[in-house]
Amino acid sequence: MAQALSASFPTREAVDFVIVGSGAAGGIIAKELSTASFSVVLLEQGPYLQAADFKHDEWGYEHNSDLMWGAHHGHPQTFRRSESDTAKLVEFALGYAHNVGGSSVHFSGNFWRLREIDFIEASVRGPIAGTNFVDWPISYDELEPYYTKVDWEIGVSGLQGSWDPPRSRDYPCPPMPVKSPGVLLERAAKKLGYTAYPAPVAILSQPYNGRPACIHCGFCNGYGCEVNAKSSSMVSMIPLALASGNCELRTACTVFRIDTNQAGRATEVVYWEADGTEQAQRANAVVLCANGAETPRLLFLSESDRFPDGLGNSSGMVGKNLMFNGWCQVAGLFDEPVNAFKSIPATRVVHDFYTLDENLGFYGGGGIDSRHPFGGLPMATASSGGLFGGPSWGSEYKQNLQQEFSHTAAFEGHTTSLPLASNNVTLDPDLKDKWGRPALRTTYMDHPDDMATMNYFMQRSLELMDAAGAIQKVGFYGEEGSDWAVHLLGTCRMGNDPGTSVVDKFNRSHDVPNLFMCDGSSMVTSGRGQPTMTIMALAFRAADNIIAAAGRGEI
Amino acid sequence: MTQQRISRRAFLRTTGDVARGSCIALTLPMILAACNRATEARLNGEDFQTLSEEEAREFDAIAARIIPSDGTPGATEAGVIYFIDNVLGDGREEQHATLQEGLRQLQTAAVMNYDTAYFYLLEPSQQDQLLTDIEKSEFFTSIRYLTVAGMFSLPEYGGNRDNLGFDLIGFEDRHAWQPPFGHYDKDYAETGE
Repeated sequence: MAQALSASFPTREAVDFVIVGSGAAGGIIAKELSTASFSVVLLEQGPYLQAADFKHDEWGYEHNSDLMWGAHHGHPQTFRRSESDTAKLVEFALGYAHNVGGSSVHFSGNFWRLREIDFIEASVRGPIAGTNFVDWPISYDELEPYYTKVDWEIGVSGLQGSWDPPRSRDYPCPPMPVKSPGVLLERAAKKLGYTAYPAPVAILSQPYNGRPACIHCGFCNGYGCEVNAKSSSMVSMIPLALASGNCELRTACTVFRIDTNQAGRATEVVYWEADGTEQAQRANAVVLCANGAETPRLLFLSESDRFPDGLGNSSGMVGKNLMFNGWCQVAGLFDEPVNAFKSIPATRVVHDFYTLDENLGFYGGGGIDSRHPFGGLPMATASSGGLFGGPSWGSEYKQNLQQEFSHTAAFEGHTTSLPLASNNVTLDPDLKDKWGRPALRTTYMDHPDDMATMNYFMQRSLELMDAAGAIQKVGFYGEEGSDWAVHLLGTCRMGNDPGTSVVDKFNRSHDVPNLFMCDGSSMVTSGRGQPTMTIMALAFRAADNIIAAAGRGEI
Repeated sequence: MTQQRISRRAFLRTTGDVARGSCIALTLPMILAACNRATEARLNGEDFQTLSEEEAREFDAIAARIIPSDGTPGATEAGVIYFIDNVLGDGREEQHATLQEGLRQLQTAAVMNYDTAYFYLLEPSQQDQLLTDIEKSEFFTSIRYLTVAGMFSLPEYGGNRDNLGFDLIGFEDRHAWQPPFGHYDKDYAETGE
């Protein structure tokens, strides 16, 4: 039996909404709909972990995929570079946490808003041949109230300033204390005429909404917060949803189909309980918040005579336009202890390269933040030992490790990815997961402009590292192309044209009137990394509009 | 979990406490010698879950060249081999098979080059030479990965005994920290920029 929490609804009577996935978006929509008196069943394939369940367990989380699951756990995926390749089995290519709160539980907490330009960049910059680069159907101004709502409802720390996109209200919490990598980036930026500002993070710098301030333990990215200071949907939204008395959270439930009727409306969500028992929850409307990998997969699995290419896929865009965000890193060695393994991942950001000059000959943009080269993790550091050219095993390697762990800082570039039809999520034709569902198959190769952008950011980061006074430095980016990601964006893009997009500007399926999709898949362009803030803002906005539509009897 | 396994754990814990409790009185070489004796006892007297005794000796010897016991404790003292034994038994049969095949090739090389049947019986310089020859192989990559993982994972997985790995790189597994965290933010707080 699934564990039933809070409200309890019979499966054979339609609830107002079934929400699939309790992550960044699902948790918010569940809270918004249930506190607006709608009956909600929230289905989550993972367990409901609590702060006390989380540990500083690098082997378990990073290498045994305890939160993210993978081939080792019966959830294999496949990956290929292009359609002409046969996809190969991988532990996972598309990574996400399987637990209540989804990846908002284990993410870094970095919380950049998109900026005005992100929504209109295609028309400002002009089209890019061979890509699906288009404007969003909404503007920054339309999303801004929801960004602010996210700030105040979940708890965000930051410092308002000229570096911010326009904001209607200050951050609820002051910025986190700066770490040594942040100081090094700030001083370097100042020397070179750039601005490093306090990184906005969904981590509490002071007590807020009954939750405590961060204790700087250093295990944010990839880990669950042990004191509930990270503002995941699990700690900020789910409790409110459950307390409403209108939301039933069912964990360990793996959804595998959305059934539709002759009228083309979604009628029920079919899932397996932990022991394999099949259940179906009837609903008046369905909201998919399963993430940019699982949402398209579910739509494909829900194909029928009426929807032969997958549910809600008359545009053919489901699964396409997958965007990872580009990434590069420059690691530097310093004379004095940096101790970047303490506290949150990033405390300073440079956004002077948000939009690159068109004259460079390629499209791109991004931000640079300051971190530990290996997430502050002992095993990751040692795995990459010999980073600055020394041996990778033996006595000298061993001697160098201490320096490489405690005396290093990294400047990381987080950059744009162009939406391409050839980068996509599909169902693997051969491989099945432990439930017998076709495995997720990823096809991905970064656009040449994305690669040029990563290289550009690596060059700037190298200059910054010199300016910071590093005694040794090394930079890299994925020159052979990205082959895994945790930013799963664009696979059910929003748009006004049903012929070229999957959901409308309010996250409603163009094809199925009582079906909504809201998560990273909704994003039209990639932003410059750190998409969770935008996913959450879209969720608040979608919920507002769902409630309004329901009030008008239009669902 | 078998009784044997529990007793092995209990044994490990005891030897660990002895070594740790003696830190004040013992000089470093004496600690290393104590650790080595404990390891020797474990390798002789304790069953492994997944590895054969021969594999355990050989993989331990390889791990000891990757993170040697020189001035400070290495992979052997940290019990890396017990981590490897644990995780290979946890749904990683394929990786175990890769390691077995790689070990056979390494032993063949030991015979051909030094007329010795086992890697662990070779001189350290001979061991290093053989490992250098296969540095790029999947076998070496795998055993290096597991050695590093065993050295720096939580002790509950069997390696990193007494946090020897964490101590080696200056990592302290604490629940909480307070600023200043490092030299540069301390300086920043003092100078204001």
